[in-house]
Amino acid sequence: MAQLPRKASGPRPEYFEDPAIDKVLSMALALAGEVAVMRDRIDTLERLLAKGGKVSPEIIDAYEPSIEAKQAREAWREQFLDIIMRRIHQEKESLEAMTVTHTYDKLVEQVEKTL
Amino acid sequence: MSAVQLQDQQDHAVLPKTSFEEASRQDFVRSLKFHLASKVSPGNSITYEKRSLPRFKKEAGREPETIREVRHLMAEDPYFQFWSAMQRNSQEMMWKSVQVSVERQMDSLAEAAKPNKTLGSLTLDPNLAVPAYHRLVDIHCMPGGYHSEFMKDDVANGAVYDRAVYLYAMGRMGPLNSDIGDSTIAYLKINWPDMKPKRILDLGCTVGHSTTPYLDAYPGAEVYGIDVGAPVLRYAHARAESLGKKVYFSQQNAESTNFPDGYFDLIVSHILVHETSHKAIRNVMSEANRLLAPGGVVIHAETPPYKAFGVFDAFMLDWDTRNNNEPYWSASHEIDPVAIANETGFDPSLAFEGNQPSAFEQAEARRTHVFQGGDFGGGGFWYVWGAQKSSLTMARQAS
Repeated sequence: MAQLPRKASGPRPEYFEDPAIDKVLSMALALAGEVAVMRDRIDTLERLLAKGGKVSPEIIDAYEPSIEAKQAREAWREQFLDIIMRRIHQEKESLEAMTVTHTYDKLVEQVEKTL
Repeated sequence: MSAVQLQDQQDHAVLPKTSFEEASRQDFVRSLKFHLASKVSPGNSITYEKRSLPRFKKEAGREPETIREVRHLMAEDPYFQFWSAMQRNSQEMMWKSVQVSVERQMDSLAEAAKPNKTLGSLTLDPNLAVPAYHRLVDIHCMPGGYHSEFMKDDVANGAVYDRAVYLYAMGRMGPLNSDIGDSTIAYLKINWPDMKPKRILDLGCTVGHSTTPYLDAYPGAEVYGIDVGAPVLRYAHARAESLGKKVYFSQQNAESTNFPDGYFDLIVSHILVHETSHKAIRNVMSEANRLLAPGGVVIHAETPPYKAFGVFDAFMLDWDTRNNNEPYWSASHEIDPVAIANETGFDPSLAFEGNQPSAFEQAEARRTHVFQGGDFGGGGFWYVWGAQKSSLTMARQAS
């Protein structure tokens, strides 16, 4: 079997001062993808069992989700992404509320000294 | 949860099949891309307004005036950095999720791409030089680009592209990825309602997803598609035949073709321009001028030019230039249709540009209505530009 090249030609941009962060981020996103794959597999298993049918790796592989099942999976993925991206959304919300300049240390200092 | 079904790409003889896990990985990439476009990317303008812009104003005593200034400023913004890094990852994950399934069936796809009886035709030219602007980097990070071949009669990157375009657009270009073609046709029908082209040429047609709609829009017209990549053309031919569409495909560079003078009444391209170069697009326009019959029209569809945006929004649309292997993206968004018509032998008064709402209305519920890196097809309209070759007989409808 021929293999297609995995890397596009041309230098890859780096996004963080420490290149290790670029690598860890790629790994985290790939792992998130694998969790979603496993979740689909569990969902298939549950749907097959709920119908009282037999299960085997082949039966699971051949399962064609209904539109309703696809929609439910899409909704699950949106929720899943909301969970893993919480820290990002939080930064966005802080920026919106303009509270970003107040670090936690500053808050402690405020409680200790001025409040 | 949207009731609109954008999950399914229309099947045909060479669309790669996906196993359970391949389909799951592709679904995840599509969801990730949508999440980034709809929930993470909107934070970029917030961090710009609230964090980075005040810093710039404090240091420079004015607002940024160029995309370059915004780029240098935002490169240090931690929110933008993280979005940008995730966006790049989503693009790499997308290609990989499709490559794995295509690799598994490369032999059977190459076999399926050899139709017995054909309506149209396929003419390859193994001696055609791949232009430097496609050799230097793999455009939009697709490993191997449109032209690389990995086995005899290879269709792999045609298959990869067809499936990945669907994921890239998150289904918002329709089950046949035909939205840019359909929208361009809608613009032509409004502006030249009486146009009855005998021959139509699609430049840089890749897998023919924008080519085939012209057969339905202009019954009786002969439709031709050219591209520099053999694997995408083999795939395009097989795809068109499988869909019952008669197209004459050939491997040619749109800068210089072997068609006779005045052979076409309509020459079209869809997201071709930004994948050429400064010189190449001028060659393409000069060649179109040669190929058009009097009164004929050349039209290019793209995302809107930067002049339509403020400097920050232009910067966001410019993301692909430096992060997605699209070296001509930036300059192509500053093309002036009148100037280029003038340079390439067209009557500059017959140059045109306009915006056409997306033809695939079902995607409306999932659009972000923003033009930004990594949100292709989310804007809800396409920008078209081009020129008509002068003629006394076929005037453009006033609009």
